Amino acid sequence: MDMKLTHPWEEAVDEIRRWARINSPWAIHFNSGSCNGCDIEILATITPRYDLERFGIKLQGSPRHADVMICTGPVTRQARERLVRIYEQMPDPKFVVAVGSCAISGGAFRGCYNVEGGIDQVIPVNMYVPGCPPRPEAIIYGVVQLLQSLKPESQKG
Amino acid sequence: MNELFPLLSFLVFPGGIFVLASGLVYEWTDRKLVARMQNRIGPRWFQPLADVVKLLAKEEVVPAGVNRSMFLAFPVVALAAALTAALYVPMAGFSPSFSFRGDLIVTVYLLSLLTLCIGLAGANTADRFSIIGATRTLTQLFSYEAPFLLALLGPAIVAGTWQISEIAGYAHNHWLILTQPIGFVVAIIGLMGKLELPPFDAPEAETEIVSGALTEYSGRGLALFRIGKDAELVIGLTLVAAFYLGGLSNPLEFLLKTGGLLLVVAGLQSLFARLRIDQVVGLWWRVGALLALLQLLVLVVLQGMGI
Ligand code: SF4
Repeated sequence: MDMKLTHPWEEAVDEIRRWARINSPWAIHFNSGSCNGCDIEILATITPRYDLERFGIKLQGSPRHADVMICTGPVTRQARERLVRIYEQMPDPKFVVAVGSCAISGGAFRGCYNVEGGIDQVIPVNMYVPGCPPRPEAIIYGVVQLLQSLKPESQKG
Repeated sequence: MNELFPLLSFLVFPGGIFVLASGLVYEWTDRKLVARMQNRIGPRWFQPLADVVKLLAKEEVVPAGVNRSMFLAFPVVALAAALTAALYVPMAGFSPSFSFRGDLIVTVYLLSLLTLCIGLAGANTADRFSIIGATRTLTQLFSYEAPFLLALLGPAIVAGTWQISEIAGYAHNHWLILTQPIGFVVAIIGLMGKLELPPFDAPEAETEIVSGALTEYSGRGLALFRIGKDAELVIGLTLVAAFYLGGLSNPLEFLLKTGGLLLVVAGLQSLFARLRIDQVVGLWWRVGALLALLQLLVLVVLQGMGI
């Protein structure tokens, strides 16, 4: 973010945009080869018990509506192309959260003949949530941290 | 001043800003009520506003294989139709800013234009989910539209006029929900069908067809469709409250009556599971339309006997 904004109103508009972006992240969930452990935890995260609507997080079906892609599992050779395609279908600005050790490095599947590695081998990742599988609290914490990192104070540091 | 008045009433009150703002507030109330009924905390009060602003600030992808100008025009037409409809209903308890003989029919058709635009927008894209969604949207349009219109005709017949302001004036002295309970039920359920709220959300069933007709829309187009739907929620609630719940004569009454209706709608949303599209059509044509027709018949006969 080294863009220079000259007018005060431009800064104000930018501020409003950022506020809206932080308060309304819509997510899409993609499984690129996980053992389903992480996916079950993600499903648990969106149940009424954890109530993600408090933060404005909503699980969307269509990548066109989503801001945040929540990825689980290592990238298998077969899923690689779909992952890239779905990432490219999302409109800008977009963010990626890698959930689980497999999504970070390949985890239990690292070194398999059919596995490329972690999510960041294929698409840029903004936030990593470790665990096998991570608890719903950890996933929520990860997404909230991602949103916090959009605030200007944390961008300077 | 005379030239300014229509512009002002379209942009500020009762169309434009007022409808948009109240639409966002009603959407939040609806989501919050549903959340509380599901034992959740629910969204924060500015959630719908944040959603809309975020969507407006996002990139708008025009997918391959669509007619570009139509793709961009449909959301605008849909929102414009919803805002125009607001001019003919007694918003916030004030008398409608425009009114002529037969404006009831015009308003009902302006309200359907939004659904029609969503359907056509889905059919315009080459995506298979959008096309299935568009088929379902239009099927549902044809199933609820007739019973909904029949339900609104009941008050029109007893009032002896097709003008919304006169019907509302007549309803002010008569609580028509007591004399025409079937019409009220059909109208409120018809409104839920119009807005594709839960028991009737087969057109956008995200577990089967992603997001239905709007799957390919991102950014601005999606935002305009969402605000259009919110506006339609407010207008529909106003219309039903003015016709069946003893009219709307001041803003307080407007708030109480539409709020009460919204509570009923939110309750129905959390009570029922999604109906299949063929069940929706069956329900409307076998039950809804017949009941509404029956009540209309009784009304006409009674009217003819001079009661
Ligand atoms: S991190 Fe654990 S639970 Fe998640 S996909 Fe890998 S092995 Fe499964």
